[in-house]
Amino acid sequence: MKIRARRIVAGRAEGRALASAVPFSFVGGADPVTGTILDPTTGAADERLAGRVFVFPHGKGSTVGSYVIYGLAKRGVGPAGIVNASADGIVAVGAILAGIPMVDRIDTGGVRTGDPLILDGDRGTVEIPGVRATPVVSVILRNRGRILIVRRSQAVGSFRGHWSAISGHLEGREDPKSRAIQEVREETGLRGLAFRAAGSFVHARNDSTMYVVHPFLFDVASRRVRLDWENDEYRWVRPEELDRFKTVPRLNDVVATVLR
Amino acid sequence: MRILLALGELSEAERLVPITSAHVSGASYKMIGDPGLEFLEDFARDARVVVPTTVNPLGTDLTQWEELGIPPEFAEKQGRIAHAYETMGVRPSFSCTPYLIGVRPSFGEHVAWAESNAVCFANSVLGARTNREGGPSALAAAIVGATPEYGLHTDEGREPTTIVHVRTSPRGIDFSLIGLVAGERVGAGLPFFDGFQASEEDLKWLGAALASSGGCGMFHLDRVTPEARRTRTKGLRSITINRHDLVAAKRSFTDGSEADVIALGSPQLSGDEVRVIAQRVDRTPPRIPVWVFTSRIVRDANSEAVAIIERHGGRVLADTCLEVTLLEHRFGTVATPSGKGAYYLPSLCKQKVILDDIDRLLERYA
Repeated sequence: MKIRARRIVAGRAEGRALASAVPFSFVGGADPVTGTILDPTTGAADERLAGRVFVFPHGKGSTVGSYVIYGLAKRGVGPAGIVNASADGIVAVGAILAGIPMVDRIDTGGVRTGDPLILDGDRGTVEIPGVRATPVVSVILRNRGRILIVRRSQAVGSFRGHWSAISGHLEGREDPKSRAIQEVREETGLRGLAFRAAGSFVHARNDSTMYVVHPFLFDVASRRVRLDWENDEYRWVRPEELDRFKTVPRLNDVVATVLR
Repeated sequence: MRILLALGELSEAERLVPITSAHVSGASYKMIGDPGLEFLEDFARDARVVVPTTVNPLGTDLTQWEELGIPPEFAEKQGRIAHAYETMGVRPSFSCTPYLIGVRPSFGEHVAWAESNAVCFANSVLGARTNREGGPSALAAAIVGATPEYGLHTDEGREPTTIVHVRTSPRGIDFSLIGLVAGERVGAGLPFFDGFQASEEDLKWLGAALASSGGCGMFHLDRVTPEARRTRTKGLRSITINRHDLVAAKRSFTDGSEADVIALGSPQLSGDEVRVIAQRVDRTPPRIPVWVFTSRIVRDANSEAVAIIERHGGRVLADTCLEVTLLEHRFGTVATPSGKGAYYLPSLCKQKVILDDIDRLLERYA
C-alpha cells in the first residue's frame, strides 16, 4: 500500500522500518556514536538506526537532538529515512542538517518494526510493499455521553468476538459518509443520525492487511439497538471504559480522533 | 534557510520576518556534548551571522577552570565551542541575560532568541517579539537574518490565555515562587498576572521560573508590562495564587537539609545584584562559600564587589551559569534563591536543593 504524507526533507529512502509507538528524544534516546536505540519505552531498544526507516509519532526533549541526528548521519549510523505523525522542530531541523529524507502527517501506528518501507520525500509518500490497504468506515454512535460498542459475531470474517464500533468495508469510489450511515442502519436499526465529526485516518494493522479506518461520530436520539447477524451483543459505555474490553486494534485511537 | 522554511511550514507561518538580533543557546559542553561541538565546528567553516548575535553561558569560566577542578579535556572542548561561535561572528557574551548587557530590542522589534528566561524578558518586559527558539533554529535565524512569523511574533499569539490573581504582596524570592507555581498551572499558556507591583529585576526572576516549570514564552502584568493594557482578558479562565501556594512551592522544591554552597545565578546576576550581595556578605560573612554567576562584562565592571565576595571565601564566576556548569563533583547540596535553578539542578546536576530567600540563607549560614 502507498500512503500520502507531507514532505519535510526531499530524497528517497528504502529500508526496514524501526517503529516506536512513543515520542522519541535523540538526546539520551540513542547512542550518538553507534546509533543504537537506548530508550526502552520505544520497544526497539538495542536495535540500530543505520539503514532503517525510523517511524515514530514526533520528537521530544532538548534541541540538542538536532545535533545528535546530524552526528549520526555524519558517522554513517543514522537512519535512512524518518517518518513522523507530526514533525516537530527538533527532528525536522536534524533531518535537514543531516540530509535524511523525511515525511510526516501519516498515522504511524500501523507500521511494524521490520516492515520493508519505501519513503519518497520528493513526492511525499510512504509505501509498504508487502501490505494491502483495506479501506473501512468506523462509526462512533453517541447518546448522552456514552458510545455504542458491539461484539463481532462468529459469522464475520475477522476479529470474531472482539468489541468494535459500527464498521464496514468501503467499496470502490463509494462516499465514506454514506457508507457509514448505511452500516448504522443495517447493524443497529437506528435512524435520525446527527453528523458530528469525521476524524483523520487511523491505520489498524492485521498481519499483511492495513485497515485504513475513516472514523465518524454521530449523535443518536435513542439507545434502542436492533442487532443483525454481524454482532451478537452491544453496550453503551463511557469512552474511558474501552480499556476494559477486548477490542479490535486501535479502537481507542479511532474514538480519540473524533471525540478529543 | 531550509531550516527556517521547514520550521515556517511546520508552524504554518505565512512568511519570514526580518530580525534585529539573535541569541543562541547550546554553548555548554556539558549540555551539547560531542554532537554539538562537531556540528558547530563543521558549521563554522562557512556560516556567518548577519545580525548582532549573542550566545548563552558555557560549561565553565574560561579563565578560572583550573582552580575549579574542571577536567582539561572538558575545558579544551569547551574552548573549541566558544571558538566556533566566535568564528561565525557571534559575540562571545556567554550570558543568559543579554538584556542586562546592552542587548535590549525596542518595543515591537522582531528578534530570534533562544534561552527561555531571555525570551520571557524580551517579550514581556521589553515588548520585543520572539518565539521560544531552540539553539539550532536561533542560529539559523542569525545566519539568514529572519525568522518564521507565527506565535509570539503575531498580535493574536500575544493574547493571554489565563488570568492569574496574586493575593499576596511579593518580595524577594516570592517572584521566583510565583513563576514556578504559575508555570505549573498554565503549562504552555500565556498568563496575565494582576494584584502586585514589580521592578524589572523582579520580573526577570518571575519570568525565568515561569519559563522553567511552564512552557511560557511571555506573560503580562497588569499596570506594569507594556502590552498588558491592550490585551483581551474578558471571559478567560482565572486562577489564584496566595501566600500558602508560595510557601508550599518553596517546600516542594527543597529536598536538601544542609547546604554545601550558596549559589546565586540562573539567570546571571546584574551589576546591582552583585554589589548588593557583596555588601550583605561583608556584613554577615557566611561559613559556607557563596558562588555568584554573572556575565564577564558585569564581573569586570565590579572588581571591588568581586574582591569582597572572594575575600569571604566565595567566587564570582563569569562565562557560565548555575546548572550548565560542572558543580556536581564539588557540592552535593546547593542553596539558592533561584526558582529556575531549583527547578533544573536536581535533574541536570543530580543535586539536592534548598530553595530560600537570600537574606534567610545568609542568616542561616552566618
